[in-house]
Amino acid sequence: MTDNFSRRDFLKLAGVGAATSAILTGCGPASRYVKREPYMEMPEYTYNGLSTYYATTCRECAAGCGLVVRTSQGRAIKTEGNANHPLNLGKTCARGQATLHGLYNPDRVTDPIQRKRGNASATAVDWDSATQTVADALKNNKPSEIAFLLGTTSDHLFDLVADLSAQTGINPPVRFGALSMFESRATLAKAAENLFGESGMPFFDLGGAQAVFSFGANFLETWLSPVSYTRGFAGLREALTKKRGTLVQFESRMSSTAGKADEWIPLVPGTEALVALAIGRLALELRGGPLPRAFSDIDPKSAASKSGIKLETLERYAEMFANSAGVLAIPGGAALGQTNGLAVAEAVLTLNAVADNFGKPGGVFFSPLAPNQAMYQRSASVKEMQDFTKKLADGKIKVLFVHGVNPVFELPAALEFKKALEGVEQVISFSTFPDETALESDYVFPDHHSLESWGYQRVATGSNQSALSGSQPVVSPFYNTRATADVLIAAAQLAGGKFAAALPFKDEVEFLQSKIAPLMSQSGGFFSAADLPTFMAYFQQYGGWWQTADSRTVPNTADIFNRSLKAPEAEFAGEGEFFFMPFVSPTLAEAGANKPWLQELPDPTTTVMWNTWVEINPETAHELGLEDDDVVKIISEAGELELPVYRYPAIRPDTIAIPFGQGHTAYGRYAEGRGANPTDLLGGHFNEAGDLAFAGMKVKIEKTGRKQPLSRLESLMGVYGVGLGEEH
Amino acid sequence: MIRPEEIKMSAEETGKWGMVMDQDICTGCQACVVACAMENNITFVGEEDSGYGRSMHWIRIERFWEGEYPEVKMTPNQPMLCQQCGSATCEPVCPAFATVHSQAEQLNLQVYNRCVGTRYCANNCPYQVRSFNWRDYERPEPLSNQFNPDVTVRRRGVMEKCTFCIQRIHKAQDKAKSEGREVVDGEFTTACAQACPASAITFGRVDDPESLVSQLAKKRGHGIKHLEELGTLPNVTYFKGG
Amino acid sequence: MAENTNIVHTHHNTEAHFREKHLMLDPLPRGQMNDMVMESMHTTSWKFWVVFAILSVIVAYSLFYSWGVMIAEGLGVAGVNRPSYWGIFLVNTVFWIGISHAGTFISAILRVFKAEFRRPFTRAAELMTTFGLVQAGFSVFMHMGRVWLAYWLMPYANQRMLWPNLHSPLTWDLLAITTYLLSSTMYLFLPLIPDLAMARDRSTGWRKTFYKTLALGFRGTEGEWAHLRNAMNIFAFAIIPVMFSVHTIVSWDFAAATRPGWNSSIFGPYFVIGALHSGMGAVIMVLAVVRATMKNMKYFIRPEHFDAIGKLMLIISMAWAYFFFNDYMVQWYGGDKWTHQLLHFHEAGPMGWMWFAMLFFNIAVPWAVLWNQKWRSTPWIVFIVGFFINIGMWFERYIIVPISLSINRMPFTWRLYEPGIEIPLGIGTLAFFILLYMGASKLVPLIPVWEVEEGQMAHEFKKFGRETVVSVSELE
Repeated sequence: MTDNFSRRDFLKLAGVGAATSAILTGCGPASRYVKREPYMEMPEYTYNGLSTYYATTCRECAAGCGLVVRTSQGRAIKTEGNANHPLNLGKTCARGQATLHGLYNPDRVTDPIQRKRGNASATAVDWDSATQTVADALKNNKPSEIAFLLGTTSDHLFDLVADLSAQTGINPPVRFGALSMFESRATLAKAAENLFGESGMPFFDLGGAQAVFSFGANFLETWLSPVSYTRGFAGLREALTKKRGTLVQFESRMSSTAGKADEWIPLVPGTEALVALAIGRLALELRGGPLPRAFSDIDPKSAASKSGIKLETLERYAEMFANSAGVLAIPGGAALGQTNGLAVAEAVLTLNAVADNFGKPGGVFFSPLAPNQAMYQRSASVKEMQDFTKKLADGKIKVLFVHGVNPVFELPAALEFKKALEGVEQVISFSTFPDETALESDYVFPDHHSLESWGYQRVATGSNQSALSGSQPVVSPFYNTRATADVLIAAAQLAGGKFAAALPFKDEVEFLQSKIAPLMSQSGGFFSAADLPTFMAYFQQYGGWWQTADSRTVPNTADIFNRSLKAPEAEFAGEGEFFFMPFVSPTLAEAGANKPWLQELPDPTTTVMWNTWVEINPETAHELGLEDDDVVKIISEAGELELPVYRYPAIRPDTIAIPFGQGHTAYGRYAEGRGANPTDLLGGHFNEAGDLAFAGMKVKIEKTGRKQPLSRLESLMGVYGVGLGEEH
Repeated sequence: MIRPEEIKMSAEETGKWGMVMDQDICTGCQACVVACAMENNITFVGEEDSGYGRSMHWIRIERFWEGEYPEVKMTPNQPMLCQQCGSATCEPVCPAFATVHSQAEQLNLQVYNRCVGTRYCANNCPYQVRSFNWRDYERPEPLSNQFNPDVTVRRRGVMEKCTFCIQRIHKAQDKAKSEGREVVDGEFTTACAQACPASAITFGRVDDPESLVSQLAKKRGHGIKHLEELGTLPNVTYFKGG
Repeated sequence: MAENTNIVHTHHNTEAHFREKHLMLDPLPRGQMNDMVMESMHTTSWKFWVVFAILSVIVAYSLFYSWGVMIAEGLGVAGVNRPSYWGIFLVNTVFWIGISHAGTFISAILRVFKAEFRRPFTRAAELMTTFGLVQAGFSVFMHMGRVWLAYWLMPYANQRMLWPNLHSPLTWDLLAITTYLLSSTMYLFLPLIPDLAMARDRSTGWRKTFYKTLALGFRGTEGEWAHLRNAMNIFAFAIIPVMFSVHTIVSWDFAAATRPGWNSSIFGPYFVIGALHSGMGAVIMVLAVVRATMKNMKYFIRPEHFDAIGKLMLIISMAWAYFFFNDYMVQWYGGDKWTHQLLHFHEAGPMGWMWFAMLFFNIAVPWAVLWNQKWRSTPWIVFIVGFFINIGMWFERYIIVPISLSINRMPFTWRLYEPGIEIPLGIGTLAFFILLYMGASKLVPLIPVWEVEEGQMAHEFKKFGRETVVSVSELE
């Protein structure tokens, strides 16, 4: 390619790249920022009646799926998966589809505002004074008194703040998201580090497997990279070219992942490690030979009785491990979110060594690092967030910048984050939406919506290929918002000195180019170009850059059998006869509650819409004299909640479950005042990796005598026989 | 009882576009439901009305339970949408010709601006896949910016249902025509099939033995057509799998 | 006047006893009878106006305000949902069409079969037909999602060559109801002409103008009577098939659908009998009220009439029970699992009480009461029976429409129906019906005086030795 690369040539190329329609890109000044123009002066690529397609990256979770957004006359009409993208291959989840309801949400923060904390009303400020406020905050405080709390998207902003921190000495940015809390990412990474001697995100090749044993990993819902894992699941089930694979799910409540499993094993919570080790030992015994150290301490009989699983069942599974190829064990979710979670993760990962599947199809790999990533990074564990919160509460931080995360809503009540903010002199939020944290801030300098934004996201896991997913604005900003990166760059220039030196860029795009430019020299890419404008044009056109080869790595398992694996008893905090099982709503996840179409989506397992419920086994409900829609009070050591009952047939009688996602006290008209937030019940107990033991609590139930009808898609008559005189 | 094969129909009347639903891999994730809503300007109705059977989804995922705890199982998720029957029961009962059979597409059309809202078609649909606009549901600004300009926005008192994304069919046909060729299988697909992360939904020409839907139907075998015994000649095939 | 054709043998009863019992044998001078009818129209107590005002308020609230709200907001304010896309509006439509059947049955069928007891109340029954159909029309319009486009259902010439779908039972329905409304109004009007002429001759002021206009210059010449008789005869015969067809076609709205429980070949006659069941119940209620509240009516409407209608009701109730059982049996025996589910749902579902109440009101009550001549001759008793039958028949339609719709072949969508704005709107149609009737009772002679006079002329006592015999001569 040459400097004379014309737009005409470019369009030709675009036609090659896109399956059905040309995906256009900005490659000149006119398209750098998409503008809304009257019909008389259409932007260059906009024709009446013709759609323009832009590739970008979904920011509804941190997975980094590629999107192609259809726009028409400057408006985003529909998001589709980017068919070229190695992570999602043209597919999207429900949240990705509904991202447009974030863009056109009627309750966005439209202007930079200043407010008294906790006060819904605010006064608008202009962007000049907003930038000055940020510059003053940077300049007038000691670097150690400045902190950034960032969400799990977008990575380019994290890189920018990390650069700023590295060169100015301000605190390194802390990243957090409720999804990573419920995924127990830190535990998984820690277990991998303990077993394989290197840190990284394990990749589980579902698609190549013949049998999958999942210990609490809800990979079809929100876990790590749901679109990619759903594709893997489809591959597991693929019956045309191979034998249909089996899925066995161990968890106390049937999640929608377990709903797809061939066998759902409602084991006693906290006994996952015992079960994994017992299966491993039985399998090794079947194979014969000396028992390795890792499996020598376990007694399968007692494991069976403690976990409530029949020994024959364990033996049957052991036979699969011993004799079949392509058997895979996955640790995740609530199984790790217990006080013995790290032991569970290690035991289950080690079980894969029994199947001897490391680096083989249907086995365990390390996910490839993203192209511009030197080492594996993970978001903060809740323990780290607790330390961070303590710093805030102690007044060690004078100014806190918050972007892309809503800690007031997401963190467990026991951490008292909202109270900790009182110890911070100045809280500046960059939130696009009026969320709870923005409400507790002094300033909200709204960032663009992700579809109006530049950026990139590193694909952390789910793809065989090392991939950096690119974002570009698909529509011009709808409101008077400004990219946070631009605000920070401008503020750093204003602050001058080392700040200006740390961010020597004209704007966000120049910063992005500086980060993407090094990829030009990397080989094995999906595309290459000799000059930066062309490379950037491709980057935008295809929605990122990725290597064509499989770049997963094989964990080093030389020592795996020689570790002594313990299965300590899980501890459950609080009094009460019920295990408490919070889970992430598969349709709402952490930030979907303000999107009306996500609210109206029936939950995959219960079909409840627009609200929160508590799942109770029908037998238990009968014993307690509870009917559907009876409001009960759930009391934990950290707090209490009132919720309507959903008699859920597939949950242990000694367990209750509550979905996370609702219960907002702010966040716009569709979210506010709706449902309840189970983090209000969560205490501050951790596992050895510092992840929250969110599934390690016991709670009490009290009747309230009230009723609150839940909105269900399913028919109580038709599905449960309620009212037909033949209830089942 | 009429058996489907006893219904005399000429070749071009037995269906053109069809779908295959693989219930074994459908995870019930609801991506198709939102994709459909976004593509087809379907309104949301709020908590009270959605709990009273008034949600407007054109596609819904059905699941039942089998057995008792701990042997309880969720039945395979069943995406239910307009089956685009070859001999549809909704069509003859409409007094206003608002729901008619398209000769060109072999689809059941719903002509929104001809509909007077007798709701007879919905009663007579054995699949219960028609949605009625019970109210002019509020879509506060600027949500209307998301509207797909290819699809009519419906007002209160009008019946609506899945169209197999007929706007996409037409777009693909127009494009192919302008390029002087036939529409290629897989060149376009419906919004639900496009979004489905598990690729459980496949859309295409059922009258073309080489198309992916026909191939899948043939290879998988044992496909079910729902309520086929009514003689509706549905064009959606379900595989329960397992 | 032709020869005697009809002789009733009597044994030991006296003539006086006959006179008291039978209107036809108790003639009064023509002028006096005419005056009695005029007086009944003109005598209005304050209670009438109180009821009239209350009903007017109800009609204004429901038919103007509530319906206005529903038109503006959409059918969401009603209780219809998925799967019960049809609700009380169609229940009421079928109900009112059923009510309207009694009028034609009494005035046409009983006329054709020369049932002499019909004479004083054919008018009262015919008015019910027309006013009932008006309510049916209101109900069906309320039911429509876009009522402002209702005219699209009529075949009218338009540039786009868009015609109604003749495959649709609803189109047949519309045509049938329209035909019935037009023909029954004509049939109401024809026998009214001599009475309007009578009223014209006895009125002053605006009433005179009103009756003069409507009487179409009727003077009572031989030629006019001959024409009128001809027209009435033609209509009496012609309207009978129309009456049967209307409710049969209404039943096809259901029977022609694919739904379990609806798809029944016996629905046609079953619906016709059901219509007569509720219609006769309504007639007897109206007669009881008219007799009790209007002046001079005790002369015209006598226990013999309640007795006669009571017998008819008993027979119709038995016929209804027969059809009901027949329909149920065939549905059950068919063995379709969805139909079984539905039948089970009718009886044991959440609304099972309504199914049993229907049987109680439609079968148990009439069978228990109407076999007794004394009871069925007592106006307040038959009023209650008629009321119960109407409740029972309304329940029957409610079971057929929203309750049967709650269950279908897709159990995932089953859902009960909870009425919303249908209730005030339904009460509005009832109030409007009563209001129209009350208005008519003040404007139109409720008793067809000329028919009564004609009947009385035909009846006479004859003495054969010691026997007194009633003889009826065939007119014409």
